[in-house]
Amino acid sequence: MNDIATSADVGSAATNAAEDLVAAQRQRSAEEAKVRERAAQVLRSAGVLLPFIVVLILGVVFVPRFLSGSNLANMAVNAGILALVGYGMTVAIAMRGLDLSVGSAQALTACVVAATVNAWGIVPGILVGLLLGLVLGAINGGLIAGLKVPDFVATLSTLNVFRGAVLLFTGGAPIMIASATYKGIATTRILGLPLPFLLSLLIGALVWVLLELTPFGNRVVAVGVNPVAARATGISIRGTLIAGYMLSGLCAGIGGVLVASQLGAVNGSVSTGLELQAIAIVVLGGTSMMGGRPRIIGTWIAALLLSMINAGLNLLNVPSFYQYVALGALLILSLGIDGAQRAALKQLLIRRAA
Amino acid sequence: MMSTPHATSARTETPDEGRSARLLLVLDWLRGTYMLPVIVVAILVIATLQPAFLSGGNIQNVLFQAAFTGIVACGMTLLIAGGLIDLSVGGVMAVSAIVVAMVLPHTFIGAAILLAVVVGAVLGLVNGLVVSWIRIPPFIATLGTLYLYRGVAFIITDGKVVPVTSNNYRQATTGLVAGVPVPLIIFLIVLVLTWFVLQRTYVGRGTRAIGSSERAAALAGVPVNLTKIIGFVLTGAFAALAGALMAGRLSSAEGNMATGFEMGVIAAVVVGGTSLKGGRGTVLGTMLGALFFAILTNALNLLGVASYWQYVVLGSVLVIAIAIGSFRNDVLSVRS
Repeated sequence: MNDIATSADVGSAATNAAEDLVAAQRQRSAEEAKVRERAAQVLRSAGVLLPFIVVLILGVVFVPRFLSGSNLANMAVNAGILALVGYGMTVAIAMRGLDLSVGSAQALTACVVAATVNAWGIVPGILVGLLLGLVLGAINGGLIAGLKVPDFVATLSTLNVFRGAVLLFTGGAPIMIASATYKGIATTRILGLPLPFLLSLLIGALVWVLLELTPFGNRVVAVGVNPVAARATGISIRGTLIAGYMLSGLCAGIGGVLVASQLGAVNGSVSTGLELQAIAIVVLGGTSMMGGRPRIIGTWIAALLLSMINAGLNLLNVPSFYQYVALGALLILSLGIDGAQRAALKQLLIRRAA
Repeated sequence: MMSTPHATSARTETPDEGRSARLLLVLDWLRGTYMLPVIVVAILVIATLQPAFLSGGNIQNVLFQAAFTGIVACGMTLLIAGGLIDLSVGGVMAVSAIVVAMVLPHTFIGAAILLAVVVGAVLGLVNGLVVSWIRIPPFIATLGTLYLYRGVAFIITDGKVVPVTSNNYRQATTGLVAGVPVPLIIFLIVLVLTWFVLQRTYVGRGTRAIGSSERAAALAGVPVNLTKIIGFVLTGAFAALAGALMAGRLSSAEGNMATGFEMGVIAAVVVGGTSLKGGRGTVLGTMLGALFFAILTNALNLLGVASYWQYVVLGSVLVIAIAIGSFRNDVLSVRS
């Protein structure tokens, strides 16, 4: 009897030990996965932090007057406006979309705002600018979600249409803004920080909350990851897309309001090529082109990075054509990193499954 | 042209299906051949409004424009049939035109054009490598290289205009052979070549297979990366050819030339009936599309419409053409 009991005990003890082992192993691999996930997240933010720090050091060491007050203010204003446009692009790209029309939308808004400010005053001008941004975004959203035109062609078309519209609106001549108050907006300082920079923090926080903590953010991610599954769970793809592109248009519009103030005189060709800068900062910031992974903070840091690069090249008197090359190379590099990350992730998943 | 077989033998059609079948037939016809009557009507209307349209000199203008757009559009047709796109063609044209203008004083015409085409093919190769190896979506990758190539063009010219000094070159690229402008002849050669590649070769079949489903094509043994790269190299070479011819026509080359050219090219391809979803390409439609846009821009110029309107018209026509295409796809998917 005893023998049998003992052997049964031994057996169950062995089973228990095995189960413990399995449990321990499971816990260990879970912890490992958590560490790996955290490392991956650090890597993702480092993806933009590392070049940020490198460029900052290079700028401080090699570029004369890099830390001068005027250059810092200049960089902060430019970075702020760029980041604002980048937030809209982040949402579009997180939906696995794209908005190539942001530059033209910003130019159209800036010129209409300038004319409105001259005619009716500052507050109507700003309101008209924001409204126009929303309308332009709604046109993009309508084409993409309603008429099912692929996003990049739809927004490539509206890039041309909006640019044509702004050139027609201005007749090719610059519009001077008379109001000194309005021209002062972009250089207004609150707590020592330029207003566009503060707005980029404030609106960035709002968009971050919108994306991370609200149902809208979930819908954006769902549409970006898998539209078919999103539809199956009852998400309105059309509504989400239209709202997303309207947000992108609104961001471009806010940018236009600020650009008009910053420049004081605007013409039909301002903000040409802005779309490339916006895409570059969004991807550099860690938002994946494959959708579903918005990184607002990354976009903001990357906007600072890009404006540092631009300011540095300007201060070093590098001809502006080299900035084209730098921008193109930066974009391809950041996209290459994005692609490599995705490939590495895929490898990881395959190994885990095997 | 893809045909849609009707599965009528096994089951009877509901009235609803009959209606959508008829709608599909109409839409299919619209896609394939609608350009021809549209072009005829456009010519009639424009000629009535502005008789100068039919003057010999102006017709030549239209044909030149159609040839430049068309040569590049042939390569773009290949790419779009493969579900790809190349936004950098304007940059390639600028670089190759500058290469021609810079080497012409030192060499003979054939060598200059050949060098330009080789440069274009290399730039196309860069696009192909970035898209297929680094796996960057083609429209972003080529948007990046567009800026890269334009930057290079500005750097090698130092932002200045490079004149084409050779009279012989100007004559060779803008002259007439039997009353037909040289660029048009080259366009027709490129057209036949593209048709042959797309419809009659392994590369063309692979391209269309990738356009329908890259995964299925890879599983079926199509060398996906190589096929994509060949498409980009051909497009780069064609764009360079067009750039070289354009340098002759303009008697100069500069970094800013052919700005926004990609838009007109894509519009010609899409309006011609090649689906942006990939999997099918019609070279003949592309030719008609290029002709249509050349007529349209020329008419806008003749009628004294501000050039700014051309942006608006071009963008709108493109969106309408694509919307018709996706409407057709909706009808198709409802049926199946």
